[in-house]
Amino acid sequence: MTDDELDQRVRASILAEEVDTARLQRSIRERIRRPRLPRWAFAAAASIALVIAGGVAYLTLVRPQTPPICVAAAQDHQREIVNGEPRRWLSDVNAIQSLAQKQGVPASAISALATTGYRLERARLCFLKKQIFLHLVYTKDGSEYSVYLRPPSGLFEGSVRGEGPLAYFETNRVTAVFVGHGADAMAFARAGARVL
Amino acid sequence: MPTEQPTQQEAFERIAMPHLAALLRVARRLTLNGAAAEDLVQETMLLAWRGFHRFQTDSNARAWLFRILLNAFYGQGRKAQRASALLPVSTVVDTRLQEALEIREALEALPIEQRTVLLLCVVEGFTCREIAEILNVPIGTVMSRLSRARQELRNSLAPLMKAPKAMEAGGAFR
Repeated sequence: MTDDELDQRVRASILAEEVDTARLQRSIRERIRRPRLPRWAFAAAASIALVIAGGVAYLTLVRPQTPPICVAAAQDHQREIVNGEPRRWLSDVNAIQSLAQKQGVPASAISALATTGYRLERARLCFLKKQIFLHLVYTKDGSEYSVYLRPPSGLFEGSVRGEGPLAYFETNRVTAVFVGHGADAMAFARAGARVL
Repeated sequence: MPTEQPTQQEAFERIAMPHLAALLRVARRLTLNGAAAEDLVQETMLLAWRGFHRFQTDSNARAWLFRILLNAFYGQGRKAQRASALLPVSTVVDTRLQEALEIREALEALPIEQRTVLLLCVVEGFTCREIAEILNVPIGTVMSRLSRARQELRNSLAPLMKAPKAMEAGGAFR
């Protein structure tokens, strides 16, 4: 059988099919008759997309990341306070103040924090990123908050920063990281920054 | 007397709509599914409509539309989704239709690249050069696919080809 004969049979077979395009034509005509969006609508949509893309880029690229020391503090809080790893804690205020002083943290800072409405429960020393911090645990309304203090070390800029359960700042007396429950950590840190 | 310029939509309908049946015919053979074929052709026409302002009216509208159809088909990784056959078995009532069915089944068993080239060449009458442009492949590739497709078909239809030619009478069926 020649190519021509084969082609002819194939062609005849396919062309014998009834192809009803009426429904398709109606559907296509209906779609193309719909008014197109004006150019300004595309421009507006593009602007909105640009703003959203800019926001995402800012959040992911430009916005300062949480300092690693704060991440370490959050992990420590999770391990020591939330999970309740068995540790030796000091609960005597005088002993805690003495410990603070030995680490270069003013003893007055401990009592100053107590004036913010949070109650000091216990304390111990810990390492965050190979740096010694005094880990203080405060309570308020049944919630526990961790405050990590060390002498000023240039880790952060001065003002209170942070988000969610993390807040941090540095004064001329201490470097402080607060870990707690949502916005309360920030409130505690702001109150702390006023007295430290 | 000044003649009124046809609107963009009228021009599109005049240029593109006459090819709807051919597009649907090929789409059916590509998708092996009536509903999917209609979706593919509708998508093709809407893509064509959106790009119609770039279409040059003196160029080959048919080739342009088939290029869009095949880009849509291949570009979206569409695969044949054989529904219950396009041709219900109950409608096969005589040997003429039986032969058509066998040819069609042999065609559908071809690899998609070979089937595409064969349909465009044999059924739609495009030259190898036009097919090469539509598919954006070298002309040699088109020719070898066409040759392999014919050989495969010959092998599949060998028993049928020995029988007297029955399709000459033609006849429409769905």
